Amino acid sequence: MSTALKSKGFIALALLPALILFLVFVIIPIFWSAYYGFFEWKGLGTAKFIGFGNYNEIIHDRIFWNALLNNLLLVASAIVGQIPVALLLALVLLRNSLFSKFIRSAVFMPMVLSTVVVGLIWGYIYHPQFGLANFILKEIGLGSWTRAWLSEPHINMLAITIPINWSNIGPYMVIYIAALQNIPSEIGDAAEVDGARGWRKLIYVTLPIIWSTVIVTLVLCISGSLKAFDHVIVMTNGGPAHTTELLATYMYNNTFHVYRYGYGSAVSTVIMLVSALLIAVNYAVTKRRSA
Amino acid sequence: MELTTAASRKKEGRGWAWKGLSGFGKLLLTAYAVLTLYPLYWLFISAFKTNEDFFRHPYALPHVWMKENISRAWELGKMGRAMMNSTLVTVAAVILTLLLGILAGYVLSRFEFKLKKLVMGLFLVGLLIPIHSTLVPLFLMMKKIGLLDTYGALILPYTAFELPITIFLAIGFMASIPREIEEAAMIDGSGWWRIFGRIIFPLCTPIVATISILAFLRFWNDFSFALVFINSQSLKTLPLSLSLFSDGFGTDYSLTMGAMAIAVIPTIIIYLILQDQIMKGMVAGSIKG
Repeated sequence: MSTALKSKGFIALALLPALILFLVFVIIPIFWSAYYGFFEWKGLGTAKFIGFGNYNEIIHDRIFWNALLNNLLLVASAIVGQIPVALLLALVLLRNSLFSKFIRSAVFMPMVLSTVVVGLIWGYIYHPQFGLANFILKEIGLGSWTRAWLSEPHINMLAITIPINWSNIGPYMVIYIAALQNIPSEIGDAAEVDGARGWRKLIYVTLPIIWSTVIVTLVLCISGSLKAFDHVIVMTNGGPAHTTELLATYMYNNTFHVYRYGYGSAVSTVIMLVSALLIAVNYAVTKRRSA
Repeated sequence: MELTTAASRKKEGRGWAWKGLSGFGKLLLTAYAVLTLYPLYWLFISAFKTNEDFFRHPYALPHVWMKENISRAWELGKMGRAMMNSTLVTVAAVILTLLLGILAGYVLSRFEFKLKKLVMGLFLVGLLIPIHSTLVPLFLMMKKIGLLDTYGALILPYTAFELPITIFLAIGFMASIPREIEEAAMIDGSGWWRIFGRIIFPLCTPIVATISILAFLRFWNDFSFALVFINSQSLKTLPLSLSLFSDGFGTDYSLTMGAMAIAVIPTIIIYLILQDQIMKGMVAGSIKG
């Protein structure tokens, strides 16, 4: 394919709109926030350069560390609460029977709902006075178990993980089903002839084959946990007393409620670094495992 | 947990750990599915209750079906406006994503040029950037150029963040289109634009469907960008209106439930019609990502 000059013009004109939009709205903001992170700025007036002042404040803020811990808790809850359940469901619902399809579409359904709706519904379920959770506990004689699910420290973060797991199991299940259906059935038959059945077959044959898919879902768990912002804003807004704060809500509340743009920018940069770090750790760990 | 029977295992050559399901297994799975759907069912019955009914009998069917909840929520919550805004922003961003993304994907899959590796690398990085880390700088930037609180404040960043996955899906798909088709068109004297518009883009229909579904779900349900970039009542999208609705009518629970029911119905209908494509799209999207 020659006509080099014409091709060059086409390449430039066809690629540039996408590239420019992407650079302006995705890549450049990262550098902006790194830059503004060095300033003290209330949004009005001039910004004052304070070097690493914001970062210094961040690492000495207990609320920040608590937020980071909450984020890690969400990652852990996703890895423990979503991945195994999704894998189990995928193994059981692998066949394309009508029954399997019905269960699959039920499990997947919450995924298409807006996070705001998910947060609001579960906010009502957890409501201390009339919430469904407490009502059911009372009905079945466990009245002493009732509590203000979203207000009590230690309990509230766990309560928040449930709706998140609820809406995320479906996609992982579908991803695993696709991966499992791609394995030629001869491998499974051969494994059974060699005596690998049930759990043994799962651990020694099935899992290694779909390991690359498992890694993908682990990365998704990490990035997904950093996206839990919506649920928390709707259900608790990080409160009470910052007990359900996540890195993103910490950033949001510092920037848009108390108008500390410089500080918020610094936190944004930290979020970038944390997510890069988590993905790198995941990569290193899973790499070793598969080697 | 032994869910396998020897007979069914013989019959089904295909399949992995557990082949046929026992009755008990089916029962367990059905219970799980019902549990998963219950919050939604609860939302819909609550949307038709009086507040008192809602407090007293949270899981009974409504004593009287309060259809007014829905119409009141529609009016008080200005849901019509919100739905229009969501539709407009979503459709515009999906179209922009398709045009820019597939065009860029075509260039990156067919041509060799100096900076290609760098460009690909940038888009790859884009897949991993957490959107919340860009909220503050984007807010400041849009404020500076006067883009804040406009439809563009949503359409442009939505598109920008959807481009990486769109481009990689497009590149993956283009590999299956034989180059001979383009070569033949070249001989006929068609330019690249014509080849793209007349031949390549129409051939991309399957991937266009996948991209549109992924983008639709993401844009329609987005809350973070709308929360930070939109302020005017008249520009609010559905998720944003809902979150404020629950604050504004905090004690009128059945009304809020009514508003949520309205907001959820379009997505559920689309899901019921397109669920196979949605699931497939999700798999394609995540594996590439």
